[in-house]
Order: sequence, then structure tokens, then C-alpha cells
Amino acid sequence: MYDILDGLINSTFGWGWPGWLISLIGYVLVATLLFAVAPFQMLFFTYYERRAIARMQDRIGPNRVGPEGIFQPIADGVKMFTKEDIVPDAADKWVHLLAPIVVVAPTMFMFAVLPWGPGMVPVDLNTGLLFFFAISSISAVGLMMAGWASNNKFALLGAMRAVAQMVSYEIPAVLSLLAIVMMTGTLSVVSLINAQGGLFISTSDVAGVPDLGLGWLIFTPVGLLAFLCFFIAALAEGERTPFDIPEADSEIVAGYMTEYSGMKFGLFYLAQYILNFLLCAIAAVIFFGGWQGPGVGWLYGMAISPTNPDGSWIFNLLAGMLGVFYFLAKTYFFFFVMIWIRGAYPRLRVDQLMDFGWKFLIPLTLVNVFSAAIWVAVTSWGVADGFGLVEGWSPMLRWGVAFVTTLVVNGAAYVIVARIYNSAQAARNRLDIDELRESLALPR
Amino acid sequence: MNTLIQLIFGLLAALIVGSAVMVVSVRNVIHAALWLIACFFGVGALYLLLEAEFIAVAQVLVYVGAISILILFAIMLTRESEGSRYMVSGWRLVVTAIVCVALFGAVLVPTIFTHTWNVPPPPVATPGSPAPPEVLAGVEDLGRGFVFSYMLQFQVAGVLLTVALIGAIVIAFEERARRRRVLTLAEEHEVRKRQKPARPPVTGERTPSPQAAPMSDGEQG
Repeated sequence: MYDILDGLINSTFGWGWPGWLISLIGYVLVATLLFAVAPFQMLFFTYYERRAIARMQDRIGPNRVGPEGIFQPIADGVKMFTKEDIVPDAADKWVHLLAPIVVVAPTMFMFAVLPWGPGMVPVDLNTGLLFFFAISSISAVGLMMAGWASNNKFALLGAMRAVAQMVSYEIPAVLSLLAIVMMTGTLSVVSLINAQGGLFISTSDVAGVPDLGLGWLIFTPVGLLAFLCFFIAALAEGERTPFDIPEADSEIVAGYMTEYSGMKFGLFYLAQYILNFLLCAIAAVIFFGGWQGPGVGWLYGMAISPTNPDGSWIFNLLAGMLGVFYFLAKTYFFFFVMIWIRGAYPRLRVDQLMDFGWKFLIPLTLVNVFSAAIWVAVTSWGVADGFGLVEGWSPMLRWGVAFVTTLVVNGAAYVIVARIYNSAQAARNRLDIDELRESLALPR
Repeated sequence: MNTLIQLIFGLLAALIVGSAVMVVSVRNVIHAALWLIACFFGVGALYLLLEAEFIAVAQVLVYVGAISILILFAIMLTRESEGSRYMVSGWRLVVTAIVCVALFGAVLVPTIFTHTWNVPPPPVATPGSPAPPEVLAGVEDLGRGFVFSYMLQFQVAGVLLTVALIGAIVIAFEERARRRRVLTLAEEHEVRKRQKPARPPVTGERTPSPQAAPMSDGEQG
């Protein structure tokens, strides 16, 4: 972006603007583009979800506004804008006003490190992954503000539930990412994607593998377990249905959004769907190679890039289009899975939610971090790191040994943790039933 | 570029100092906590301005994302004390001010007098220069530092946090005997129904009306 603008302004027009101004214009342009794209993703997602969930429930869904109801979200948006904005009398006016902003702003921030295609990332931060999750944790503050400022019991209950859920499910999410970070040795989202070329075996592990852009981390035992844990945690962070207790409409009206109307409510809605989009996107980026797919690497090899300055711009365009297509296809597929889960599972209770997070997901992800260490040791260490055993092996053998070892460790961990968890839950249920019997036998 | 950075620094400094002043001057405790979050965020942005990306992100993750939430939770769960919004006044105000200024001075004065000012900035990287400037607080350096040079401190901090965690569990642990299970509506209904025969009959004041009697018959049938 900087180079293009620099070439355009200083070379073509010869205005001689300073470098910082050009960077600033470049970033402002990219940010404007993203701000324009994000609400459209949200509009599309609401339509997509309503149609998909309707199909699963044997209904038709919105199909009146435009062809197949495609303009329904726009009509909804217009409705949102024209509604009256009601602020409760007892509410804390300023905090009530600020809360939706604090919830929406971080989701927009998170777009800053999201790569859309090869060479198409707004900012390639060295700590991109960590940035993504650090920023996402800010919106918990906004939820808390919304719940408290509404001065309503339902709102406060919803906010407490939301924040407790977000804080506890952040731990398995970050721990499963830690395993991935150990495997790839980077926190940058761009180099994470670059490490996922290959064909079922990543080129970063075995150099001779044909690069079809399919060396996704999901094809390793560590990546698979990390993905499962991460996706469940993402469901909880995005407040998707098995974990939608913060806004369980049958229990506490609409949770922290109870006292919001009009566009402020719309902003919460926007934030939620954009967060879902981002969580699906980051799952696609981390475990499914983001824009990696057959052909993108080949096309990008002939395009203009820092390593290949005299390529052709047409390949930039083609690689970008194909990359964005793969990326969005994966993202939309994950959102479909989220809708699917919504159609299939009932809501959890609060104690079930906490038990599942703390007693099942966190032990599993901790074992997964251990497996990731084994993986790194077997595939990339040598005598210099004090692990001379694998020095003479061929890369393929090392990969195979690492695969089998981590598969055994992760499989055993899953079986053991699931058994312990099941027996603990069963014991608890038994005790609960005993207690119920006692209370039935002894009238108060 | 330099003026731009100084301008941003000025804005951030104003944000940090302003919100810090608000923290200690607003009367509402929750508002104070929210201003504190703004202050933390400003400090994170300041780290980013210093190109210490990792520390900035860690600041946001730990302080904004976790500690402030903890503070908010603590305030909200102890809401009864929120009513006592009194200000310190009289001689206590003077003593408090002296103690605060003394503590602040104890930190600031040695820094002012022993710090070497006017350190020349590192040469600005141009595309042709051979050595790019070192990345401050890179993640790898930080990790190496934790595992090699500062192993003891790192471990001590870890043990401290584990102790805090165990302590929290001990405090929050409910004994099974005292735990009261929240009944679902269906279970509560069942309990009521079974308790009905055990209850002393309440005949006398309120005889069942003739309309209600066939209905209850229908329910049983």
C-alpha cells in the first residue's frame, strides 16, 4: 500500500509529500475499506443465519424483500435506525451511552491483523495473534458497563454471566493457541499462514513436500485437538447457542441488552455478528491455512511481492482473488457449523458451562501444549538443543514419529479426561438426585 | 515524523494523567474503575508508541482484559458499600495528601536525579543502512530472559499466583452439606405437590369454591 501510494503521489504527480503523510493516507484508506466491509459481513451473516436455521427447522425464513429475501438485513437496518432511542430514567446516562461503543470498537480493531489474502494484511504485527485476543477481551468491559449502567437486574445478571463466560473460555482458547504458537514458532498471523503450505504435511516440517497450500495445522494431532478446543471456546466467546446463557431470552429477557433500543441495540447486534465472523475467520486462519489452498502459492510466486519485485500485477490480482475466495469459503463454512450447532443443541446451564470449561477443556489444552513440545522436539531439534536421538533421522521419519507420538498422547489424554469428567458429572448428578429425594422426604 | 510522534505522545499523556486524576476525584466507585481502565489503555498505547509491541499487548490483555474486570466484579458483588460515598476531609485530608506526595516523591525523586537525560536517539533506519534498529522487547528475547536470566523471579511469581489461586478456591469452596441445589421449576412443583398432604389442613377460612372443585378433579383424572 505504501509503495503504491508513494509511487502514485511522489513519482507520478511529483508532489513530494513526506513519508509519514503517505503512510497515514495508506492506513486511513485501508481502515475505511475495512469499516465498510465489516457491516456488510454482519448484514450477510444475519441473512445467512436466518435462512440456514429456517431450513434446519423446516421453515423457509425471510424471502420477501428482494430476490430470496436478500435485502431483508438492509430493511432491518433501516428499521433499527428509525426506532426511538430509549434511555431508562434510572440509568447512568454516560456509561449507558458509552457501553455499545466500547463493545463495537474492539471488534473493529481486530480486523487490523486479519489477513484476507496473500500480501493482503492491514498490519503485520509481530504479535498479531496475541493482539487479536488481547483486544477481544476488551469488549468484556463494555458488556459489564452495559449491564451495570442499565440499572436493571436482568441486565446485570446477563452482564455477569457474559463476563464470567468470556473470562473462563479465554483460557482454553489461548492455551490451544499456545500449542500452535509453539509448533510454528511465531506469533505473527502472516508467518503462521506461510507455515501452512504443503500437502497434508507442512513444508515447514518436511522440506520436499509439494506445495499445494494444504499443509494445514488441522492435519496434525496437536492441531486437531487444539482446533476442537478452540472452536468450542470460540462458540462460548461469541455467545453462540449452546453457550448463549448471557442473553438467554427465556430466562433473563435479553441479558445485558435488555435496556437498549434502536441503533444502540443494533450496535450490540453488529458487534456480536462481527465477533462471530472474526472468530470463524481466525479459526480458518490458524488451523485451516487462511488463504492457503491449491494454486494460490503458485500464482503469488509470479506476482509482485517483496521477494519477487519484478512480477506481474495481474498475478497479484488473481492470487488475491483466489486467496480471498478460499479464506471466505472457510470462514462461511465455520459460521455454517455454528448455525448447525445452534440448530442441534439446547442451551447449557451455568454450572455445566463452567464445569465444561474448567474441568474438561483446560486439562485437554494443557496436555496439548505438552504434545506440541514433543512435536517441536522431534521435528526440529538436534544435538545443539540437547536432543541428539533424532539427529540422523530423515525429515519424513521424524515427522512420522512426531505424528504417531502426539496422536497417542492426545488420544489417551482425551479418553482419560473424558472418562474422569463423565464420572465426576455422573457422581454429581447422583448426589443432586439424592439431595432432591431428601428434600422430598423431609417437608420444610 | 518526530512532531507527529510528540503530538501523539502529548495526547496519550493527557489521556493518562487526566483519567488518573478522574480515578481519584470522581465519587462513584464504578466510574472510578472505568476511568482506571481508560488509564490502563492509555499506558498500553504508550508502550505501542515506544514500539514495545509485546508489552503493549500484554498490558491490554492483563490489565484491561483481566484485572479491570476483576475490579469491576469486586465492586459490583459488594454493592452494599457503594452507598458510603464520603470524601476525606479536615486534618485527615492533609495527612492523606502528605503520605501520597511522599510516596510519589520516593519513586520520582531518585529517578529524576540518577537518570541520564538527553540520551541521543538511535540512528533512524533508512532503507540503505546496514544494521536495522533492534526490536525492543521482542517475544523471543523476553522468553529467553524469563527462562535464563530471571528464572528465580519468574518461578517465584508463578508460585505466588498458584498460592493465590488455591487460596481463592479454598475461600470459594462450598461444603457439600451447606450447598443448596437450585431446583428447576418442575422439581419445585414436584416438591410442592408432595408437601401438600403433609401440610396441616387449612380448612375453615377458605372453602374451595364450587367452580374450582371440578377443575382439580379434572387435573387428577
